[in-house]
Amino acid sequence: MNKLFPTQEIGSLAKPRWRIKGYRGKALSEEEIAEAVNWGRKLGIENLEELVKLLSEGDSTNRKRAILEWSSKYAIRFFETAGLDIVFDGEQWRSEMYEHVIRKTAGFKFLGYVKSFDYRYFNKAACISKPKYAKSFYLDEFLFTRENTKREIKVPFTGPYTLVDWTFNEYYEKKFSGEIRDFKRRKFEAKRELLFDLIKDVIRPEISKLVDAGAKWIQIDEPAATTNPADEEMKLFVESFNEAVKGFNCIFSLHNCYSNYEILAKYACELRNCSQLSLEFANRDSRQTGTGNARIGYKKIKLFEEHGFHGNYGLGVVDVHTNFVEPPELVRDRILHVVKIIGDPSRIYVSTDCGLRTRTLEISFQKLKNMVLGAELARKVLR
Amino acid sequence: MIGCYVTGALPRPSELIEKTRAYERKRIIKKELEESFEKATESVIKAQFSAGLNYITDGMLKWQDLLRPFTEGLKGIEVGSLTRWFNNNTFYRKPIITDSVKRDKAIVKNMMYLGKMPKNLLWKAVLPAPYTFFSLSKNQYYKDKAEFMFKFAEIINEEIKSLAEVGFSYIQLSEPALVYEPLAPNSKKDKLALMNDVLEVAVKGTTIKTCLQTFFGDFSKILPEALDFPVNHLGIDSYETDFEKLKEYSFEKGVALGLVDSRSSLVEKPDELVEVAKEIIESIYRSKIEDVFICPNCDLDFLPWERAKEKMKVISSVTKHLREEFS
Repeated sequence: MNKLFPTQEIGSLAKPRWRIKGYRGKALSEEEIAEAVNWGRKLGIENLEELVKLLSEGDSTNRKRAILEWSSKYAIRFFETAGLDIVFDGEQWRSEMYEHVIRKTAGFKFLGYVKSFDYRYFNKAACISKPKYAKSFYLDEFLFTRENTKREIKVPFTGPYTLVDWTFNEYYEKKFSGEIRDFKRRKFEAKRELLFDLIKDVIRPEISKLVDAGAKWIQIDEPAATTNPADEEMKLFVESFNEAVKGFNCIFSLHNCYSNYEILAKYACELRNCSQLSLEFANRDSRQTGTGNARIGYKKIKLFEEHGFHGNYGLGVVDVHTNFVEPPELVRDRILHVVKIIGDPSRIYVSTDCGLRTRTLEISFQKLKNMVLGAELARKVLR
Repeated sequence: MIGCYVTGALPRPSELIEKTRAYERKRIIKKELEESFEKATESVIKAQFSAGLNYITDGMLKWQDLLRPFTEGLKGIEVGSLTRWFNNNTFYRKPIITDSVKRDKAIVKNMMYLGKMPKNLLWKAVLPAPYTFFSLSKNQYYKDKAEFMFKFAEIINEEIKSLAEVGFSYIQLSEPALVYEPLAPNSKKDKLALMNDVLEVAVKGTTIKTCLQTFFGDFSKILPEALDFPVNHLGIDSYETDFEKLKEYSFEKGVALGLVDSRSSLVEKPDELVEVAKEIIESIYRSKIEDVFICPNCDLDFLPWERAKEKMKVISSVTKHLREEFS
């Protein structure tokens, strides 16, 4: 992109109540329909009466699909209206980053909820046979997004390492039980084989479909990348990224958040065909303006530089876990601070820390608008 | 004896999970949640004795993480931010040590569902061990690790005594960090000597059995020093430990063999585990066999409850086979 400091988001955006309840086939209250209309007006969405009519109808397969399309259109306009240069549809077609892919792929069975923390859980699947591509999981969403925006598109794509790390591996552990005696070795080899089978038979076919359909930039989301900081696991992660993206005529980037950046920094320069690392920093940072000492949250970017990462950064300047709306001046200073560290301003893409799905649409909108304004302030300083 | 037990928290059964979610969303009141915890505790206790385990725990269903009762219950510690639990996709809240640590009331005893524990069976409780607690905390008060560890060991000592008083006969000290973290050869001796002294304080004047349960790392790397630790049993994670190295040592202490994998949903074949256990027992006990406990490698709460129940049956079945072999 020619513009300095292009602005982008990471992926998810909160789903409006009319999207969640409507998709489940539940009746909507007047208030919920009014919410759809209000946001629709704010975002300049056409034919709102058609949406109102749809939301008042009874459940059907067509209605479900139409609701996905409407909420997708809302999210695209949302990002456009906030002023972002690079957009997607807020992952409105996906239930969640893990379940969405696993449910559409053969070879997995959900075992039920396991703990995440406190009273939070996640539905964890087991791999029970060799994974097989059953149906596309991102293509329709991409095609719809492409039809509905003129802006540059970045497709968020849950990475294979994370899918495997978050899954019980029954099929392969069983397969190796006769072959490898050492339990630790057995589990590792089982993980490895699941990972590369998944890449070959599921991940690459889907990337291929996206690229054939015109996707120019795919962001591989790997929140689990540094879960296991042992050298052989980190090497496995790097190898999995390289294998997944190898040979496609497309730009790839990596998003990783709330992780161990000391570890990631060591391995980042081994990622091939990875044009950008989008990383989270704002949540670690102070809220004072200024460059230098106030920017405690951005210390770790030095590690990536020291270890020889030369690609771009998707620089997290907006915290997605607080309702504090970063003033444009704070966004500006976060950007300028990092310019001082890395030297080349063209390597910075201005970004949120992570997807915004845990914030209300109101807060997300204000945060993104200020992010765009802050990027403009930073451009002015460098002009 | 050759026996079996679980190694820590059990998974919340699905009805309880639903209630905790409803509580989070403010759809039920605390009393209803509390009743669900009681009911679920009854069922996980029953599942343990039905499976034939020799020591019974209360399942620790309320524990949000291994450290939390202490993070919340001790003076001088504040509850910090969510942090990854070792190399798992689960999280704990980091204890922030802000002041001199004080225990003004019994912690674990007061969390236990004592009334639900079966009278005619042996009881086991689990406590976080000092090294792990310090390693996973943010220290803003104590001058060094040792100073905090000795202080925490005194607290553990009081906890063990209070649990013994109400009828517990076995205490597991969970110590994953000691084997998870790299152990540099030049600091190994000092680190393990400190561990030894700290454990002395933790068990001083207690008479019930204690086990230092290591997991998420290779137990063999704390050998041979661990063989002299002042605990009755040493817990080993079979999915992380180099068996060949383990077999080089001769043990005069009991072991808790974590042979069932709490981090895998695949239910193990008892026959294979019996073979592995036999091999280990025969090589580490050259003259006389000490206590051997068959157990999961770590807390079973990485699994859905139904799967955890099946795994408890596996440890029981392996134990039965081993008793026949070695009787």
